[in-house]
Amino acid sequence: MPPQRPPPQRPIKCCSFLVNVMSDTKSLKNNAVKSPNVAHWIACSLVAATGVLLTFGALVTTYEAAMAVPDWPGTYGHNMFLFPFAEWFFGPWDLFLEHGHRLLGASVGVISLVLAVAVWKTNQSSTVRGLVVAAVFLVVLQGVLGGLRVLLDDKTVAKVHACTGPLFFSVAVAIATLTSRRFQNKFSQSETAVSGMPLGGWIATGLLFASYIQLVAGAQLRHLDPAVGPSTFRWLVLFHLVGAATVAALSLAAVCESFGLIVTGSGRDVGRRFLSAAILFFVCSQVLLGFGAWIVSWGVPLGLLPDALASRVPETNAVVVARSSLSSLIVTGHVLIGMMILGASVVYCIVSGGLPEAAGVKLVSRRRALA
Amino acid sequence: MNNVIAWCCAFSPVGKAKATNLLGVISVVALSLLATGCGQTPAASFRLNLVESSKQQLTTSQEQQVATILAALFGTPDEPRVPPEINLDVAKLKLAAGPVRSDIVGRKNGLYREHCAHCHGVTGDGMGPTAAFLNPYPRDYRPGVFKFKSTERADKPTHPDLVMVLRNGLAGSSMPSFALLSDAKIDALAEYVKYLSIRGEVELSLMRAYFELDDEDEGVLPQSREFLFEEIIDPVTEMWAAADDAIIDVPDMPADLDMVASIAKGKELFYGNKANCVKCHGVSGLGDGQANDYDDWNKVVLQAQKTVDGGVKQAEKTSTWDMSAEERDEHRIELAWLDRFETVLDGNALRPRMIRPRNLRQGVYRGGMRPLDLYYRIHAGINGAPMPAAKGTVPPEDIWHIVNYIKSLPYDFNGTLGVDRPMVARDRM
Repeated sequence: MPPQRPPPQRPIKCCSFLVNVMSDTKSLKNNAVKSPNVAHWIACSLVAATGVLLTFGALVTTYEAAMAVPDWPGTYGHNMFLFPFAEWFFGPWDLFLEHGHRLLGASVGVISLVLAVAVWKTNQSSTVRGLVVAAVFLVVLQGVLGGLRVLLDDKTVAKVHACTGPLFFSVAVAIATLTSRRFQNKFSQSETAVSGMPLGGWIATGLLFASYIQLVAGAQLRHLDPAVGPSTFRWLVLFHLVGAATVAALSLAAVCESFGLIVTGSGRDVGRRFLSAAILFFVCSQVLLGFGAWIVSWGVPLGLLPDALASRVPETNAVVVARSSLSSLIVTGHVLIGMMILGASVVYCIVSGGLPEAAGVKLVSRRRALA
Repeated sequence: MNNVIAWCCAFSPVGKAKATNLLGVISVVALSLLATGCGQTPAASFRLNLVESSKQQLTTSQEQQVATILAALFGTPDEPRVPPEINLDVAKLKLAAGPVRSDIVGRKNGLYREHCAHCHGVTGDGMGPTAAFLNPYPRDYRPGVFKFKSTERADKPTHPDLVMVLRNGLAGSSMPSFALLSDAKIDALAEYVKYLSIRGEVELSLMRAYFELDDEDEGVLPQSREFLFEEIIDPVTEMWAAADDAIIDVPDMPADLDMVASIAKGKELFYGNKANCVKCHGVSGLGDGQANDYDDWNKVVLQAQKTVDGGVKQAEKTSTWDMSAEERDEHRIELAWLDRFETVLDGNALRPRMIRPRNLRQGVYRGGMRPLDLYYRIHAGINGAPMPAAKGTVPPEDIWHIVNYIKSLPYDFNGTLGVDRPMVARDRM
């Protein structure tokens, strides 16, 4: 009896696209689950909504609009959801950003809860369930931190708020990846005994941690207390630069490893190649954006050069215009590309057999694997 | 690290991989907490001018007295206030001061901390977090000295002078343009700069006043209002009030001026003994003349460093064997003072940098590129910098010739054709 032709595959976007590329055609034929992958789609929506939320958050910091609404959880005495639309949408720019950030935060919270229900209903693995619980916890924590930042008007809380955001984003990306049917099919096929983490996994794990720590360091620079002296700032900048060099080196190592340049024969996976190359591209863009962000914020850092060399740098009549659209775009773009590096690193870490796999966690539930 | 993992594994049933995982997560979270700090951000406060207080050898109680007087007169960075005798608009100060936040009508406050404090510092001491990375360093407002203005050298800038710097920025430095801010906001920022400057000058005067105290004062400043206002505050505020009357009277440039002749005359003055611009700006105008001088802000730190270094060397040479008990006590006090001064310089001052004369062939002028701006710079010199005033040595009309010559320099070929630049076929023809 000739083998049955499998039904045409539905196009999958967002994070699953990255996993799609790595999936080989054989695994497609084994895809027997036909019901819509609700949890995955909701997780993808969560990633997208979080992306917009983080964009608003980054803009809030760029324009120092965090205290545009002095009360919380209400907005100028109104219930947050009942604040007059026209006053928000056509109001001052900083009010638009801050109130928009709050509304988006609430939306992300609701999507997280819906995702939790979907995950429980669709027999996802214990890892995914754990991650969803973590996501709900983090989104609530993040909301409370945002409220405390406003009520206490405190930069330290703002820094913690800025560090928790990327953590939540990472969890959302991980959920979207792990609930992807392509990933589950591939993983359930290649379920063999793992003897330690592979080299690619170590590199991917290092990249994931380094890119998160870079965002933490960036948050310290973005929410800088102007009362600190030049010495503290110098150490922070040095830390951020060393972190950037680490991320660049690890992303280069990831490319070399995935293309089989480090260990011969290890680079067969097209998806990992694509991901590592994309991360390296983001990192290169990030270095340029970082330099640009410095210039549009504080001018050319001639103070870093020896005086004799600094005096030879030609001057121009060009002057940085504070709060111009270009400068805000560059500074905010630097944050967002950092988030994209982190998100891509999460996917890369999972598909490289990084930390979760080495830790022995169950990425795909037995029932789904059998299905 | 491996030992730590092995230790964790010994007590944990989850195995080595999970222990590695756990340690990784814990270390990231711990690092994040360490980086963010565990306590609440303290309320902003003005920093005392410790370099000056160390220089004047003030005691801790004297420093406390200065801080108390300043707080009573000027309030705090979050709640500024000024005595009515000081002609500053408190409403504008409140708009510029404090943390960044919107008020009940949606108007943004805290403009200074939003736009200026990261370089100029909360106190206006030019010691903001980013200061060390900038060249030139951000301005320290406390001595009340401003470079680019329309008034005579020793006078204060007018309010429009400060507004112009804020609006246009300073080319060739890190000072940005705030042209996108509203007039009201720029106005408020200029007022706040004056406030910080007056506060800083009063602080300096108070610290220097200890030097002139009589023995009967017992090291405590008089508490009377007359002393504070007549001796300390009024001399400062009078200078600021007189700024509008000190604007330089600029003669019109003759309408029928022959520009070629004017440039030639300007060149003659540039290289001549009267203006003697060549001394610093160099024969070529590239700013390669005398370049071993410092501006007034850096000179203060440089002199303090020399005092400390000289004192330490002297103390190392001094033998305490033949000293009396009193002399030994004095010697110990001096050593403690030198030690403190050194610590203060490490934490409260930036490494002195030499000032370089402007390269006039680049056509970049920090104080503005209008001919009028150049006239002001040449006429009054640059306060706080080695650039001297031509006033009194060069007639006002002739200053225009120097202005015209300087404006022509970026377009002037500097050198000898065929020597400094290889001759091309067109030249040989």
